[in-house]
Amino acid sequence: MHENGYKFELEEMDLYYGDFKVLEDVNLEIKKCCITSIIGPSGCGKSSALRCLNRMNDLVDGARIEGSVVLDGEDIYDRNYSVVGLRKRVGMVFQKPNPFPKTIYDNVAFGPRLYGIRDRETLDGIVEESLKSAALFEEVKDKLRTSALALSGGQQQRLCIARVLAVQPEVILLDEPCSALDPIATQRIEDLLSDLKTRYTIVIVTHNMQQAARLSDYTAFFMIEEQGDPGKIVEYGDTNTIFTKPTDERTERYITGRFG
Amino acid sequence: MDARKADRIATAVFWAIGIIALGILAFIVIEIFARGLITAVKPSFFAGKPQALKEGGGVGPMVVSTIYLVVLTMLISFPISVGAAIYLAEFAREGRFTRFIRFCLDSLGTVPSIVFAIFGMTLFLFYLNWRTCLLAGAITMALLNLPVFLRSAEEALRQVPLTYREASMSLGADRWTTVKKIVLPTAMPGIITGTILPLGRIMGESAVVIFTVGVFVRAIPLSPFDPAAPLAGYIWYVQSEAVVPDYRTIVNGGAAILLILLFLINFGTRRLSAYYSKKKSLGG
Repeated sequence: MHENGYKFELEEMDLYYGDFKVLEDVNLEIKKCCITSIIGPSGCGKSSALRCLNRMNDLVDGARIEGSVVLDGEDIYDRNYSVVGLRKRVGMVFQKPNPFPKTIYDNVAFGPRLYGIRDRETLDGIVEESLKSAALFEEVKDKLRTSALALSGGQQQRLCIARVLAVQPEVILLDEPCSALDPIATQRIEDLLSDLKTRYTIVIVTHNMQQAARLSDYTAFFMIEEQGDPGKIVEYGDTNTIFTKPTDERTERYITGRFG
Repeated sequence: MDARKADRIATAVFWAIGIIALGILAFIVIEIFARGLITAVKPSFFAGKPQALKEGGGVGPMVVSTIYLVVLTMLISFPISVGAAIYLAEFAREGRFTRFIRFCLDSLGTVPSIVFAIFGMTLFLFYLNWRTCLLAGAITMALLNLPVFLRSAEEALRQVPLTYREASMSLGADRWTTVKKIVLPTAMPGIITGTILPLGRIMGESAVVIFTVGVFVRAIPLSPFDPAAPLAGYIWYVQSEAVVPDYRTIVNGGAAILLILLFLINFGTRRLSAYYSKKKSLGG
């Protein structure tokens, strides 16, 4: 068993889309049961970095990785590694809430059904449990059989979190999950994530520095030098240090709002 | 000329053009119904047996032939077109091969139906030694409609937001499961709406019918290998070849029935599409 407190270990990872180098020399250790945030200016490759962790970049034509991405001691880019198994363990919540055009119930049950759970009572239990964990159950318990598209943006995003929780992942990746939400809905998601981190390893990409500061235990700051250059990690460490005593001048300029 | 005046003139011009277009369509519909509706609604006509020499013949077998041909063609072309559309929209990587397929499709789409008709006749009647029959017509008609139907199905699939696919795959679904459970149900209303054009074309197509299906039958066709006489071909035949004295009545009545069938199918397709939209958002 691999026990060093790290869920993910990225070593000298480069990401290419075709000939274009998106990320260069990414070294990152993501601690278990913590919230790690990835911040940086637009276009610095932070979303792409997140998508390396559940191999969603595989969907991009010509995407290719060098270096290694290790989850619990196993390289997820290994030939024999099961992508389906990986995505069951590493769930993802997207920037724009994207519930399926199905009922609330069917949205949450989608994952479990995928893994062969057909029993009605088991499914009912999973749906209720997941919606409760996502702090949505009370609001929707009387309309589980109505369309998920009728929910508000914030509710839809919590539904997407419930949908991920329903497959019992170990890691949750969130790609700017609050960028389409109002402050109150954002607050609820943040509270929810703070609750969830006791059980899950959470990695969140955000362009909102206050959010990173409030929410996360560790912060990685990504940047590109010039247009067309690959994104790199400028600084990575515990959130307090990054926001109060950054060692790199560029980090300080970014977090004090002087660029980006 | 000031902007407000220009806007007013433009509004008037476009209204006028719209009314002219609608007027032409209304004129055609009214003209066909004025000449044929009284004949068309007589049971002795729409369900009656045709006559080869005497007057007073009906078009019962022709109405059945038309519907039979439409159903048979859809049974063949729906899976092929939707299947190929799924391949192009979901699985194929854009490249030389897909560009070549699209080029062929677009070229085929502009080939006149008479060319397909002769191809069908050569293949089924000369090489395979079939007699004229519904199946020969349906396969030929499926080929004729493939480009249009495939393109509209592909378009419907591409309208499904990428984020649905991402959500599904991020939960561990593979591509096929994602297509089956998410993409296809979401695209279904659009795919069904896309059948309206091919359906109308099958009903109105006469060249393929004349060469591969037949233009006159006395009995209602039962097997797909039976000769049949769909209305569009029969109308052509009665108008140009038949010796019945009341040929004008038959042509007018037949045209009216064809128009009614088209309205019905159009209406039915829309209802089906609306049903799928509702079912989709409710999760069905």
